[in-house]
Amino acid sequence: MSAPVGEMLSEKDKIFYFSLLPPALTTLGLLALIVSTIGAKAALVLPQALTILAANVWDPENERYGLLAPVLGTLVVASIAGAVSLALGLPLTLAVAELLRGRLGSVLQTLLEMASAFPTVVIGLWSARYLAPFLSENVMKPLYSSFGFIPTFSCRPLGGYSLLTAGLAIGFSVVPYTASIMIESYRLIPSTYREACYGIGATRYETARILVSLARPAIAGSVLLGVARAMGETTIAAMTVGNAMNISACLFEPSYTVPALIAAQFGNANLYRYAEPVLYLAALVVLALALALSAVGFKLVSGWRVRIVG
Amino acid sequence: MASWAVRKLEDRLFVVAVVLGSALALAPLAHALAVTLYNGLSTMARAGLGFFVNPPPTPYSASLGGVAPALVGSLLLLALALPPSAFLGLLLAVFTNEFPGSRAAALVEVGARAFTSVPTVILSMVAYSLLVVPTRSYSALAGAFALTAASLPYSYTAFSSALRMVPEMYREAAYSIGMSRWTTVWRVLVPIARRGIASGVLMTLTRILGETAALLFAVGALRYVVPLNPLGPVDALPLLIFDYALSPYKLFHEVAWGAAALLLIISLALFALSKVVVKGVRL
Repeated sequence: MSAPVGEMLSEKDKIFYFSLLPPALTTLGLLALIVSTIGAKAALVLPQALTILAANVWDPENERYGLLAPVLGTLVVASIAGAVSLALGLPLTLAVAELLRGRLGSVLQTLLEMASAFPTVVIGLWSARYLAPFLSENVMKPLYSSFGFIPTFSCRPLGGYSLLTAGLAIGFSVVPYTASIMIESYRLIPSTYREACYGIGATRYETARILVSLARPAIAGSVLLGVARAMGETTIAAMTVGNAMNISACLFEPSYTVPALIAAQFGNANLYRYAEPVLYLAALVVLALALALSAVGFKLVSGWRVRIVG
Repeated sequence: MASWAVRKLEDRLFVVAVVLGSALALAPLAHALAVTLYNGLSTMARAGLGFFVNPPPTPYSASLGGVAPALVGSLLLLALALPPSAFLGLLLAVFTNEFPGSRAAALVEVGARAFTSVPTVILSMVAYSLLVVPTRSYSALAGAFALTAASLPYSYTAFSSALRMVPEMYREAAYSIGMSRWTTVWRVLVPIARRGIASGVLMTLTRILGETAALLFAVGALRYVVPLNPLGPVDALPLLIFDYALSPYKLFHEVAWGAAALLLIISLALFALSKVVVKGVRL
């Protein structure tokens, strides 16, 4: 795999290789710069990191900070978004790559690509003005009155800015991304599998079920990549999550996510001694989670692709 | 196994479920598109051409004003961020395409992947602490740094898939007439992949124009003055939409819809252009 490049290349090619090497390594340099900057800025509060992560208070006037609500909120919102991107990404994948394998399929795929060109701030604006009130009236209130005994539905919805709204809105915005990875993977399944299924008289449903179960690791990987992206989504979260330091099992209550907290608080954080380092610590937590999840996601997808093709 | 009638029914239900699921996935985005255009175009119609040349209104002013400073700011940021992002992205793509087995290429690949999952708001914090604090000023340059970092993985991915589409025989042909690797890349492979590269540039451009979070703490939202100085603060369309949507004033909400429609139209036009540019690649 990583044969020493020098031995295979001519003198001229070596010059080429080494002239491109510095710019090529800028991505890694930038990545190191990002992590080290965030880490250095958070250093002041790193010794108390666990206490800060376990507490739930945002009171810069008295220099008291805790990140539990935003961290939990981030996890809840990202999980809802992941569920949405699986529930909607799978039908899209099957529609584009299994059922509509002609002109209609490519139209649908173009629509998906177009959707991923939507600026997130536009989706955020739409979610705040339309999705939140819609969910509050048509989803949250009925669920509360019928299933209020279940903890996740146990609070009276107010206005709609909530963990559920943020999760769904971010989910909708992540679907095109997740679906595109699923579609690309699904298309790599050799057609011999499909032919074998149809050959023994399987229906489209039975064939799709077999092919989907074959692609399960790639699908899981795509969802993880979507969750990693949802975790860092700032604009939509800040416009829909309700911005409240609130921990609740109920999904209809306003809460926070880490990016929303940063968006709301970082601008004035330099007025206080510890607000900035605490926010850098919060950023570090989300960065670590997002990097880890996407590493696992990429590994699942690319490992599966090698196996299925090879 | 279940009877044929049951299996047939299952199959029908499956098709219905897939169609419904796909419709459900696209419905929110279609609705967002429709209401943004409706609300935004009605704002623009009321504001007239002044929407493109006036500064935004104050909360209780009589007229809608416009988004000129944000529009110019967005273009200034684009002019500063696109060249480094596209140039670096192309070098990276050429590198991984030319030396695919090397350890450095594997590292570049891993780095680019990791980069796509860095939340852009974090890039804004980095730009703030590395550029804004030392220079004691918010600046378009700090914003451009964050935007370059935010868009680099996209330009790299687009360019490297464009280069990978070039059939190997062109490389073999170039080598067989004695061209060096350097000349082959810049005189043969890149020109052949030019449509894919152009479309990648357009997609990177869309990414840069629509990015909000990377700008939050970098550019300083100079809202009422048309910015001309790259070292000074600027505003940008996404930032204006974000701030105005969260403000309590009705007039600001209307301006936000207008700006959102403008941004969406530009993004979709660029997307359409990137599709048109790619079409007609016949190799």
